Amino acid sequence: MFRSVVPRALPRAVRPSAVSRSTFCAPNIYFQGRSRRGYASEAEEKDLVIIGGGVAGYVAAIKAGQSGLKVACIEKRGALGGTCLNVGCIPSKSLLNNSHLYHQILHDTKHRGIEVGEVKINLQAMMQAKDTSVAGLTKGVEFLFKKNNVEYIKGTGAFQDEHTIAVNLIDGGETTVRGKNILIATGSEATPFPGLTIDEKKVITSTGAIAMTEVPKKMVVIGGGIIGLEMGSVWSRLGSEVTVVEFLGQIGGPGMDAEVAKQTQKILAKQGMKFKLNTKVTKGDMEGETVTINTEAAKGGKEETLDADVVLCAIGRRPYTNGLGLENIGLETDDRGRLIIDQEYRTKIQHIRAIGDVTFGPMLAHKAEEEAVAAIEYLTKGYGHVNYGAIPSVMYTHPEVAWVGQSEEELKSAGVKYKVGSFPFSANSRAKTNLDTLGFVKMLSDAETDRILGIHIVGPNAGEMIAEGVLAIEYGASSEDIARTSHAHPTLSEAFKEAAMATYDKAIHY
Amino acid sequence: MNATKILQQGRQPMIRFLGKRVTPSQIDHSPKVHPASPNQALPESFASYRQKAQQHGPLNQSKFATGQIGGVPGSSLGPIEAGKGNYFDRSELPKRFQRLAWTQAEIDAVESGGASMFA
Repeated sequence: MFRSVVPRALPRAVRPSAVSRSTFCAPNIYFQGRSRRGYASEAEEKDLVIIGGGVAGYVAAIKAGQSGLKVACIEKRGALGGTCLNVGCIPSKSLLNNSHLYHQILHDTKHRGIEVGEVKINLQAMMQAKDTSVAGLTKGVEFLFKKNNVEYIKGTGAFQDEHTIAVNLIDGGETTVRGKNILIATGSEATPFPGLTIDEKKVITSTGAIAMTEVPKKMVVIGGGIIGLEMGSVWSRLGSEVTVVEFLGQIGGPGMDAEVAKQTQKILAKQGMKFKLNTKVTKGDMEGETVTINTEAAKGGKEETLDADVVLCAIGRRPYTNGLGLENIGLETDDRGRLIIDQEYRTKIQHIRAIGDVTFGPMLAHKAEEEAVAAIEYLTKGYGHVNYGAIPSVMYTHPEVAWVGQSEEELKSAGVKYKVGSFPFSANSRAKTNLDTLGFVKMLSDAETDRILGIHIVGPNAGEMIAEGVLAIEYGASSEDIARTSHAHPTLSEAFKEAAMATYDKAIHY
Repeated sequence: MNATKILQQGRQPMIRFLGKRVTPSQIDHSPKVHPASPNQALPESFASYRQKAQQHGPLNQSKFATGQIGGVPGSSLGPIEAGKGNYFDRSELPKRFQRLAWTQAEIDAVESGGASMFA
């Protein structure tokens, strides 16, 4: 009798009407993973469920909320903003800014007519300042969630089926949430160095590098990319003896123009950082008080042993899909762990999309933001736009390094005929008055049409200045267009204009 | 204004205002390679999944056009109720509507009032 009256629906998980309420969710806890049948009422279905509350996930959630979608965002960290806000871009910028101030007060005041007494570092307070900035920003995102009617589920999400996400709640208990559409925005994690165990004390990733309790005497950075150089800069300024070991022949990672990389390396070396390029790390030993790193020339040969109190592994990041239950829905990743998507961010299962670090493209927060907006627009309007040829890269050392578009080497290898123009900050009036004249602006444009193909800056405020370059590339401007656009005097951006002048004709002040 | 006009006769900026941004009227939504894809190819699984996927009719657009399954409205197939004197058998229904066999664990759960699930 009982059998015939039980509804024979598909085994669907049961979800309380409001997940955010920390109510006792008996059906979920008792039946999840135990029963194939749905005995209770159907779960409320969201228009969109987002797994991951990082830059990609939270921007998508807010945009979806603004578009009137019923949206839930699952985040397991307990704070929104992901790697960028919590342990990446934001805390590192706080440390970079404050360590730069300390370094400047210590070494760069006398000739400016400022006499300073004893300058001391209070690392605990510096970390506190960093934490305050981070907390303020993550709380801000949480407020935006409320404002845009985004349901924030604190827990770890995993696919149960193509429409259902099981969530292991941080506060205990489990729940499930169903979505018509699902967005995977789980981000990335630091790639560990084979042979070295990350303990975030002696062998650290960028996460450990922003939370050290004392300044190490000696620090070895494996990987001379943006993360390695930024964190190396911080600790070098605070007094560490920093050695950067890089496998390739130039610092800065992929995309950085060789001329810019060379100049940057010179400047950073002057600031006290040591570089070992074309060098590979063969072995690491963490046994003793310090960490011993064995290196040899990348092409084989010269061996060396480096001793360090702390080793920072900054060899790159890899997509993070652990525990996401991709196997439950048959979603595959490529050879580097990235989710495979089409032009509208859809995986092979059309209603499941992936954006940000977990899929193709550079692992940059602003790229993830662009994708988040585009993915929601594809969902709501059927049309979105991200120009992957106009995504800037910035390294926040001092001076900053920023670029957009193609490098000279890329153009050469593609056989494109181009013109080059550059302008040094040493010839810029504002840089002169600021006593901050290291670096230059370099512009590459098509030899025939003068259309800008790449802009590379090393110098003060490069990260802000590159926005003009991105706009120029997005709009398909010529170097003459920039050169004929009035730039305020005296500003650093005049160097940008003069580089454009040098590209299509001649600079005035150089 | 006139001064600008005279100046612009000599040089036309490459950046021009193209008018109000509008969503294209026709967009091809069929899966194509993502612009940042490293190998510039979609795996075979994308096409095969679409072939297989049955979500209110096949996702394969061409089938709609050729008038196959999903290409014609369901109402044109006639009434969904069985004719007078006829009955549908459960076994004729798609698998998801068919009867689920009871497992011993479920029988035990019912008989013990759910206690066996925590035993």
